Amino acid sequence: MLLKRICWVIALAFTASLSLYAAPNVEEGKALFTNNCASCHNKNMKDKLTGPALGGMEERWAPYPRKDLYAWIRNSQALIATGHPYANQLWNEWKPVLMNNFTGLTDDQIEGIILYVNQEYNKVPVTAGPTSPQGSGKKESGTPWLFVGLAVILGLLAFALMRIINNLGNIARVQEGQAPIQRTLAQTLTSKGAIAFLVFAVTLIFGYKTVDNATKLGRQQGYKPDQPIAFSHKLHAGTNKIDCQYCHDTARRSKHASIPAANTCMNCHSAVKKGSISGTAEITKIYASIGFDPMQNKYIPDYEFWSEKQIEDLYKKWVGQEYMSEKSLTALDENGRMVVENQWEGIVKALKNDSNGKIQGPIEWVRIHNLADHAYFNHAQHVAVGQIACQKCHGPIEEMEVVHQYSTLGMGWCINCHRETEVKFKDNAYYEQYARYHNELKSGTRDKVTVEDIGGLECQKCHY
Amino acid sequence: MHHDNGIWVSTEDLTREESFLQSAGKEFSVENMDQTDGKWETNRRDFLKLLGFGLGAATLAASCEIPVKKAIPYVTKPDEIVPGVANYFASSFVNGGDYCAVLVKTREGRPIKIEGNTLSSVTKGGTSARAQASVLSLYDTRRIQHPGTVKEGNVTKMEWVAFDREVKAKLAAGGNIRIIANTIISPTAKKALAEFQAKYPNSRVITYDPVSAAALLAANQQSFGQRVIPDYKFGAADVIVSFGADFLGTWISPVEYAREYAKKRKIRDVKGAKMSRHYQIESHMSLTGSNADNRILIKPSEMGAAIVALYNELTGGSGGPKLSNEKSVTAIKKMAKDLTSRKGKTLVVCGSNNVMEQLYVNKINELLGNINSTVDFNAVSYMRQGDEREMMRLIDEMNAGQVAVAIVWGANPAWDLPNASKFSEAFAKAGTRISFNGVLDETTLLCTHSAPTHHFLESWGDAEPKAGHFSLIQPTIAPLFNTRQAEHSLLEWADSPNLNRQDEQPYYQYLKSHWANEMFKRQSRYSTPTAFWDMSLHDGVLEIPATGTAVSVNDIALNPDAVTKPSGSDIEVSFYETVNIGGGQYAHNPWLQEMPDPVHRTVWGNYLSIPVEWDGVNKIKGWNGLQDGDMVDVEVNGQKITCTVVRTFGQPAGTVAIALGGGREAGGCGVGYGVNVNPALQVAGGLIQYFAGNVNVSGKVGADKHFPTVQFHHTMGVAAEGKEEGKVINVDEKALGWKGFQGALTDRSIIFHTHVKDLPKFADKMEAFHEEASHLNEQTLYPDRSDFFGTGVKWGMYVDMNACVGCGACQVACVSENNVPVVGKKEVHRHHEMTWLRIDRYFYGDFENPKVVYQPMMCQHCDNAPCENVCPVNATNHSMEGINQMAYNRCIGTRYCANNCPYKVRRFNWLDYTTADTFPGNEEKVFRLEGDDKPFYADNLVRMVLNPDVTVRSRGVIEKCTFCIQRIQEGKLTAKRESRAIMDNDVRTACQTACPTGAIVFGNLNNPQSEVSKLTKGTAPLAYQVLEEINVRPGVSYSAKVNNSNEELYS
Repeated sequence: MLLKRICWVIALAFTASLSLYAAPNVEEGKALFTNNCASCHNKNMKDKLTGPALGGMEERWAPYPRKDLYAWIRNSQALIATGHPYANQLWNEWKPVLMNNFTGLTDDQIEGIILYVNQEYNKVPVTAGPTSPQGSGKKESGTPWLFVGLAVILGLLAFALMRIINNLGNIARVQEGQAPIQRTLAQTLTSKGAIAFLVFAVTLIFGYKTVDNATKLGRQQGYKPDQPIAFSHKLHAGTNKIDCQYCHDTARRSKHASIPAANTCMNCHSAVKKGSISGTAEITKIYASIGFDPMQNKYIPDYEFWSEKQIEDLYKKWVGQEYMSEKSLTALDENGRMVVENQWEGIVKALKNDSNGKIQGPIEWVRIHNLADHAYFNHAQHVAVGQIACQKCHGPIEEMEVVHQYSTLGMGWCINCHRETEVKFKDNAYYEQYARYHNELKSGTRDKVTVEDIGGLECQKCHY
Repeated sequence: MHHDNGIWVSTEDLTREESFLQSAGKEFSVENMDQTDGKWETNRRDFLKLLGFGLGAATLAASCEIPVKKAIPYVTKPDEIVPGVANYFASSFVNGGDYCAVLVKTREGRPIKIEGNTLSSVTKGGTSARAQASVLSLYDTRRIQHPGTVKEGNVTKMEWVAFDREVKAKLAAGGNIRIIANTIISPTAKKALAEFQAKYPNSRVITYDPVSAAALLAANQQSFGQRVIPDYKFGAADVIVSFGADFLGTWISPVEYAREYAKKRKIRDVKGAKMSRHYQIESHMSLTGSNADNRILIKPSEMGAAIVALYNELTGGSGGPKLSNEKSVTAIKKMAKDLTSRKGKTLVVCGSNNVMEQLYVNKINELLGNINSTVDFNAVSYMRQGDEREMMRLIDEMNAGQVAVAIVWGANPAWDLPNASKFSEAFAKAGTRISFNGVLDETTLLCTHSAPTHHFLESWGDAEPKAGHFSLIQPTIAPLFNTRQAEHSLLEWADSPNLNRQDEQPYYQYLKSHWANEMFKRQSRYSTPTAFWDMSLHDGVLEIPATGTAVSVNDIALNPDAVTKPSGSDIEVSFYETVNIGGGQYAHNPWLQEMPDPVHRTVWGNYLSIPVEWDGVNKIKGWNGLQDGDMVDVEVNGQKITCTVVRTFGQPAGTVAIALGGGREAGGCGVGYGVNVNPALQVAGGLIQYFAGNVNVSGKVGADKHFPTVQFHHTMGVAAEGKEEGKVINVDEKALGWKGFQGALTDRSIIFHTHVKDLPKFADKMEAFHEEASHLNEQTLYPDRSDFFGTGVKWGMYVDMNACVGCGACQVACVSENNVPVVGKKEVHRHHEMTWLRIDRYFYGDFENPKVVYQPMMCQHCDNAPCENVCPVNATNHSMEGINQMAYNRCIGTRYCANNCPYKVRRFNWLDYTTADTFPGNEEKVFRLEGDDKPFYADNLVRMVLNPDVTVRSRGVIEKCTFCIQRIQEGKLTAKRESRAIMDNDVRTACQTACPTGAIVFGNLNNPQSEVSKLTKGTAPLAYQVLEEINVRPGVSYSAKVNNSNEELYS
């Protein structure tokens, strides 16, 4: 009887978990939206971007069967080809912009996305302000009071013992008929023993400090240089929730995470021409680097041969035009001229190449994470195989207005992580060859396999 | 007479001289310890100064700002580039007639390594040392950087437009135009030439090769009606006879031949093992000769006599010149018997440059039924097309003032012709002289105009090395300098209507349209020209095999009087091409200069091989009492050459030999190394003869202070007779002060060899040896670590010494892959060469006519590594994957590990060879090119060749083979990302991919299905580990060397 009941419970729990897994899920929808839709559809669901605003799409598609909406999302061109009236209406409005196909999405996943879209659409807008920092990591405690207390007690004890030894010695001397030795404090402090102790202590402290500082030589934890473009990770990764690997796409397939090329920025910024923080000041730098005319919405042919004057004229015009439209002016006022001048100076400062004196060309970012040359580190190994979150090493990037180096990038720091981190042992067929560990896991003599266990502390994992 | 343990490396080894005891036993000779030449003597005061400086510097460094580094992304990232991930492009290495289908590894648009292209049925993924090293010549600082006029040894800068105008005016002025080139195997280049000739009908192309095969071509024209080289099927022949053709090293297409040859040399099973038999008839020991089962020694001028002797044996005829050595006469008789017993399955090739001799060889092949079988005509080779007789005619023409414009394309006749000085004089009489050559070589210096062409890694092009086998060349980097492809220049000057000058890459379009118009029609695999072009470019090769082309042999009257007459002189000299330098055209590549000659083990120059003599009692010494490094005067053909001597086994008495290609006079790093022997070459019937009689060799006239031979460097396990002990002891032990302490060490297991017919018995012997070794290894202090190695991957390697021909491709590949520095002649002399992989050469058999084994020796990755437990800082230790790891940053340079390594494979950075950090006292010692003010590797152009995945080591650390750990990491990551087990093809080491014969196999020993497991475990009776009995448990296994010699040959 009991057995049967247990079976029932298990079966129920199983189906429940299954259905739980399969049901439309707003969290899943959010992830799917961020990964698949956010590069073309605005996050606020209200404004147009490369593609239309998604807010209210349920109402717009309401006259048609739900499966049409699914079909539209999976393969819009196919639906257009069938002559679907609303699909064709959308196409006429937006062509030639094509929507990507997402044939892999299930109905439930699409429902999840719709749930998320509705949630965001109906959200009451909050006034912009710094989001509260998440309680990230533990704070280093200040002075170790316990140790100070102990040191004081031990010091007192040593002093008392010294006194006792002195007194006992004097008693012995008196008994032998000698005069007791009375030392002044000065005498005590200049005695051989005290000086020896002092020298020892000083050597110890200096030695420790020297070694400690030598270890830190070349380390740059907290390094927070100014960048040519005031790019805000907080805005992009935090507020807009763009996936890290959307821009740093090589992290999963190369040893370098790579700073994205300017054309990656242009995926969004060909549409988003003004920033929410800095207006035209920063985004125009991208245009000046790659040669994009924001007024004509097109790339400039033969931009590399343009003179600085041509570039100056173009982008000053753009900045001025935007200033005027914002202020509803028909001509630049004094302030406007200053804004234009300042922003142009900013462009020159950020982009002018020291060696060839050109504005056009790559944006020279200041490298923050400088791993020692003799250390090999592979992002793909950690991101794609180890599935380590970027934040583990880079800290709460999504909260950083200006990025700084979060970790020490010291060898001890690497080693510690390799000691503690478990390998994705069961999910990856590569690790099947570690038969012994699998057996030990099965028999219960081992509870986990860390990176250390598969040779993660060996020299030539990182040095060759 | 046979040596007691059967194996030796040198004369000193054989005679057990005390000096050898010392030099072999020590990792570094005494002279070499004196690395400072008294300049950097350190006393107490200096020590204190340095200490003070060190402390001060450290304090300063601590307070200094760390320099700001930039991270510069692309503006628009090309789709195919992922920073940090290598891209491979199929291309072809072509230099004159030398050809190899390759893949070029590029990192962020920068070619750094050459790999073989397995899709090519010509080279089948093999490479040569020359192809491997070609990537370095792309970054040659001596390349001409712009077009211009040549004045006083410089190129005065011009723009292409003005340059073209000037050249066109000269061309249009009338008068004869001559284009001087080496073999051209590119169909599209020939089309461009044809367009040029159509525009200028008074122009003609003169082709010759640095090392000639003109007689072979002429004889084939007569015998077969085709002026081509037939497709020799070395893999189909049971008996191979080579009359001085170095087909494994330098002759025609060595990569192709070596792979075919090795197919018949590998032993897979002991029972019923079969292998081909290879006779080499030659004077000096060539790479091919060293691999032969039997060498028949003759004097160089007796080649014709030997060929006629074989012909007479086969036909029962007589007459013709006679051989001086009776032994060789008998040998040829017996060889003839061997040949006739396997008719149709034999192959006779000949490297002679005498037309009648080649006609005899063609006849012999016909008599043996080899024509259309092993000498096939379906895919004939175009790899040699030159004829130096045309050059001789050109000299007359130029002298007569009949040449208005001479254009030099790749050739260097002002240096590599025997009558180079005559050529130079005549050349000056041509009004305008234009050179396409990439460096200011001897000929370009004599030119009026320089129109430098691209390096092949910057070029578009194609090649047809064999009929129906096409191959494409594509650029892997934008041209580094303002150079222009020679074909483009020719078309430009011809005002070709087919060259679209508006296009960004006009010659690319030209090539593409040629392929779309001509090649596309010839195939049926692809239906559109675009798909055809894209796929051909992707594959790098296109093969349209011809079928059923059989030739009939013309009956040519053979005249024994037309073969070379033996000179009858006491001493004769032969001149030969080396694997690395060729006829001198590769002399400007430092990697090739520093690659030891496989047979002589010398670097940086060419040296005179002299025979060794047995005094009949117990001494073996150099001929005429000469020692290695002695200098002598050689008088030949009225030329006096002062050169350095190297004693060579297998060099017959009464002969000496010296390589071509030394003593270059201009153009790059080869200048000043070795001696130029070209003026000593004789010409017979217009054809260059690579030998000479009537040679006078003087006694010692001096000594080369820095004679660079790696012969005695890093020797291991040499047994020799100790004078004090009066018995054979181990040299290493002697050096350590142990007197025969460990008996087991004296007879060390480095090389095993046997005859193929003895294989079953030999297998038993090996079995017994393994048992003995495991018995010796039972008592051990080392802990049992089978658990440690038993899970996950365990890397291992297998080297098949029956397949290894010693060509050195692996060695250069290793240098290229692992940023191994070039150290220069003087440093090599001081035992400081840095190569991680060396190819040891051992002799066995008869002293006068020994056989050779090549043993590629790299870190053996011992599981019980003796180097690891002597390191005071644990800089070298073991990984659970069986790799002996070396952490450079931990190394403090005690060199204990190198001292304790039984295989002598660890290398110490005595100086800052790669200029990782430059000390002023160090810089002047480091290798630099003649006339350069900074070290070789300090130039940013040269540094572009460095592999970014491998640390550039600095001074004071030990380094060694890592099993290409960077490739292992990459392979493992690929497998992990694809969530699958690691497979054999995931990780292939640089030496393995470079090998033309597949002699090196690498893989996972823990996987019983991997190739390396199958070859080394269980049913692999020939596999053994070097020094197996000393319980270091190496991760590398070797196969015993098996030969198939005709043992009755001399009886």
